[in-house]
Amino acid sequence: MAIPISQMWTVSTYVLKKKLSGNKRYPLVLMLEPLFRCNLACAGCGKVQYPPHILKKQLTPEECFAAVDECGAPMVSLPGGEPLLHPQIVEIVNGLIARKKYIYLCTNALELKRRLPEFTPSKYLTFSVHLDGQREHHDFSVCREGGYDIAVEGIKEAVKRGFRVTTNATFFDGTEPNSVRAFFDEVMAMGVEGIVLSPGYSYEKAPDQNRFMGRARVRRLFRAILSNRKPERKFNMSPLFLEFLMGDRNYDCIPWGMPAYNIFGWQRPCYLLQEGYANSYKELLEETKWEEYGVPSGNPKCANCMVSCGYEAPAVIDGFGTLKGFLGMVRGTFSRYPDAHALKLLDEAAPHGPSSLVQIEDPSHELEETRA
Amino acid sequence: MTAEVLKYTREQVEALEIAPGTESEQLEGWIPELADEAELRQALEKAFGYRGDVTLTLKNGERIEAFIFDRRTGATLGDSWVHYFAPNAPEKRKVSYAEIARLEFTGKDRAAGKHWEDWVKKFNEKKAAGEKNIGLLPDVLD
Repeated sequence: MAIPISQMWTVSTYVLKKKLSGNKRYPLVLMLEPLFRCNLACAGCGKVQYPPHILKKQLTPEECFAAVDECGAPMVSLPGGEPLLHPQIVEIVNGLIARKKYIYLCTNALELKRRLPEFTPSKYLTFSVHLDGQREHHDFSVCREGGYDIAVEGIKEAVKRGFRVTTNATFFDGTEPNSVRAFFDEVMAMGVEGIVLSPGYSYEKAPDQNRFMGRARVRRLFRAILSNRKPERKFNMSPLFLEFLMGDRNYDCIPWGMPAYNIFGWQRPCYLLQEGYANSYKELLEETKWEEYGVPSGNPKCANCMVSCGYEAPAVIDGFGTLKGFLGMVRGTFSRYPDAHALKLLDEAAPHGPSSLVQIEDPSHELEETRA
Repeated sequence: MTAEVLKYTREQVEALEIAPGTESEQLEGWIPELADEAELRQALEKAFGYRGDVTLTLKNGERIEAFIFDRRTGATLGDSWVHYFAPNAPEKRKVSYAEIARLEFTGKDRAAGKHWEDWVKKFNEKKAAGEKNIGLLPDVLD
């Protein structure tokens, strides 16, 4: 596992305290979106299309601190939009560090190298750089030629200056698993602490509605890319969550575990679905009809979701809150996940260019690797 | 399975190969009739999901350009509210359903367009023409 001991200790004691106090619903990571403005225009983005007057708005540092203090999560993710476009992002980050929150500042890194001198390295601060794959794949994914090179330059400079750095990637239908595995090796060679990854979520507002993998396909892809690991590949995620993506475990979504706060308020029910806003985290917890979401509810909006904001929190709670989960986490940290069938999946996935999306599905093997 | 399915069983969810997408409605320019309470409620629900500004005309004649980001519905129109940001005001505002006389989807739908296939076509054309640093730029905000 690529996560430092101090962070694991903070999270594990937090989970145990909540468990001992009998608290059933509590946050692990606050998804704090300080703004929706972005300096990329990714085709298919379903997150940040708003009128200009909304894109110009941003949370003040005081609003950010109030949200963090109210919800009490030990970790804060700063997605967006592009957080480095926020003129007071340094003040926000420093305020969170002063509160001893572990921060993941999610950035496309187009501005990272330029702004790095304004930040101070800290065990609490990680730059989580959006890289969707190897150069050609990433540039194509974010609709910007040269984007990969700029991001890599930022990553290398951040590593050189002593910052914690991870990469984060989202995979859609057509992802070529051999390329992804080569990409893992490339980013680890840059000196990053670990890799964060996620299947794409079928955002209702995404212009293209036919590139989102269902659960069976997600499991097949992640089994192919995460099995038979090289020891150098580190993942900045719970090993149990990765096993969930591979189909070895099943968890039910707990959307309150990674609540989202932005200029509109506390988003109901989660970071991905936008069904209204609460004025406080307490109101979010108490007034959201949680039974209407997640796989057991049958809600079609939750059907393809295997995203970390719903499913990593239960994996972390399982890992730190139960002996069985803890042993599984230890085993997962050191396992290389040998799997002959996953190797076969890799052989079947032919290399391809970025403009011709390849289906990794082979109907004759449909679901056979599903072991959840 | 299609997107019209109201509920999935766990078995159906686990077997999904491709997630059914959401069909987007063409709302830009639409002016709903609002003939009765049900139509008003339905139209404001659509306005809540719309990624553009709308114009609300209140019963007192006031016109409000607004991005509606939330709605809270109660038993009566007087107990139901839309929450919005107006372009020239920093603070969140709200107005009761009971005060709304007319709704127009006047602003550009920001969720429309930017299709993946359009990008692929544009990229291939520019690449074939020998262009460098091909990319899409964010909309200008001013």
